Amino acid sequence: MAIDTQKVQEISKSKSGSRLPLFGAAIALIVALLLPSVLNSANSSVYVYTMLYAIVAVGLSLLIGYAGQVSLGQAVFVAVGAYTAAILSAHGVPTILAFILAPFVSMMVALIVGIPLLTLRGNYLAFGTLALQLIILGVVANTTFLGGSLGIPSIPQLGLTSSLQLGSAKSYAWLSLVLLVGVLIVSRNLINSRPGRGLRALATTEIGAAAAGVPVGRYRLYAFLLSAAYGGIAGAVYAFFTGFISPNSFSVLLSIEFIVMIMVGGSRSIWGAVVGAFVISILVQVLNTLGTLHGLPNSMPAIFSYAAYGLLLVVIIRYMPDGIVAWFGKRLGRLTTASKNLD
Amino acid sequence: MNQLIGYLINGIAVGCIYAMLGSGLVAIYRVTTVVNVAQGTFAVMGGLIASSALSFGLPHGLGELVGVIAAGILGLLVGKIALTKGGISPISSLVITIGLAVAAYALEVGLWGSLPVSLAGIRSVLRFSGVAIQDQYLLIIAVSIVIFIGLWAFFSKSYIGLALTACSSNSYGARVMGIDVRRMGVIAFGLGGVLGGLSGILIMPVQPLSFNSDINLVVMGFAAAVIGGMTRFEYALAGGVVLGVVEELIAGYWQARYQLEVALGIVILTMVFEGALNARRGTAAWR
Repeated sequence: MAIDTQKVQEISKSKSGSRLPLFGAAIALIVALLLPSVLNSANSSVYVYTMLYAIVAVGLSLLIGYAGQVSLGQAVFVAVGAYTAAILSAHGVPTILAFILAPFVSMMVALIVGIPLLTLRGNYLAFGTLALQLIILGVVANTTFLGGSLGIPSIPQLGLTSSLQLGSAKSYAWLSLVLLVGVLIVSRNLINSRPGRGLRALATTEIGAAAAGVPVGRYRLYAFLLSAAYGGIAGAVYAFFTGFISPNSFSVLLSIEFIVMIMVGGSRSIWGAVVGAFVISILVQVLNTLGTLHGLPNSMPAIFSYAAYGLLLVVIIRYMPDGIVAWFGKRLGRLTTASKNLD
Repeated sequence: MNQLIGYLINGIAVGCIYAMLGSGLVAIYRVTTVVNVAQGTFAVMGGLIASSALSFGLPHGLGELVGVIAAGILGLLVGKIALTKGGISPISSLVITIGLAVAAYALEVGLWGSLPVSLAGIRSVLRFSGVAIQDQYLLIIAVSIVIFIGLWAFFSKSYIGLALTACSSNSYGARVMGIDVRRMGVIAFGLGGVLGGLSGILIMPVQPLSFNSDINLVVMGFAAAVIGGMTRFEYALAGGVVLGVVEELIAGYWQARYQLEVALGIVILTMVFEGALNARRGTAAWR
């Protein structure tokens, strides 16, 4: 046992030993910090959505990439966070309190549904989470207290203190960046901790991990809860930022979008989730611009994005199962070794 | 009482649709252990293509047949893409079928728009002692009986059917006997496509379908299949009928808006209960 732990530690050290990713992350962070001050308000919204997507995607990559649990209903936890924030602030709770409570309510829901659902594996879990999303969305659409299928309009802006209200898209951009960085730091620390190694072990072989003393059920549940909390955070910011939510804002397609993001970026790393969210957001923007060109029917942007999501998913799984980051990394590595050989 | 008979017949008919979708999933799962998320897509595409074929002037029967055949071809295509030569994990194949289902949205919205499309079925209504039943529901039940007898004959008598069964019971053994397991998987997808297409053309006259109806269809089909443990057609039939009847009874006596939620709840409980049962037996299914 002792030897094994040491080995694992060595492996994780050698992995994080390279300076290059850290350097890249630092540059990305500086660019991300400066970007909101130069963006116009429409582009700032895209920025906010990208950050929120990334927050959910990081949670989902912990669940799928590290814990090996495929959830097809991740949007449901985003919805719970958004509805918590909206309902509480509509009933006079200070928005900052509603914002803080949102991820906890998402976790509560995840705890209640996770205990039975996580006894399922693979295909069954995937369909169980999908069914769960359909159930919860259906119930929300039929509950007047939750705004029914029309949704909840005029959600107040998020006020950090009584005098400091977040009003502009720019302020939400910085808030969502800070939240993403926080989520990344927590996730990175988790992955490099003992429970993180346990999670990776149980994703490879559950029986093996259990035999090695990893509390399999508990860790699976923890990963599920954490990913739900991330969803709740993103949902709450989304509700305050857009000011309007309805069951349609959190469709099954949104859950699938999250899957596409982590598959594109590479499900086995939290950075991949961020890259995936970024790439998909840019791609969708480009397609929207193309789709709204003169003379095209109104449904064109939707058609483009369905085709892009669908085909990307197929191509990535078939030809780049580790995501584009690893794919390009491998190509680059091959290139550099080839040039070294030439020398 | 008369009302109850009406609900039961409608429920059985809707249940047969779920069972048909479920059998498509079972046919594919038995051979490949892949749950095909695009199963609902087969139904939607089959129905939409049939509606276009009919509007091009093809007679009834032939137009529907075109839809079913197209769904079958679509099934083969999905199978070819989802099952790679090198072999990938079933869950990766499942994600590929999600991708194909979403990509199909683009085609469906582009060609047929995003509004629900209906299909001209049998419009007449059967009335006896105060019960009114749309004949289309009776047609669904009659066709389903034929299909399930056909499925039984196919899997127990025909060469391909036996080969498919061989693959599902022992994939390694089947390969040793010279059966190409991947090819059989693709054929199973084709069969799934046909069953999906059939369910689409049968349900569309009473329940118009739009591009995103596929999610509800595949989830209900999965529900029917899962009650039978994903591997037995006759259990999928029973599961589908039970779900259909429960749904209709809830809609009839309580509230129509909760029929899907209750049915899905039953499914989740079934899966969890089944899992717990397997775990106790010590035959944990590591799916």
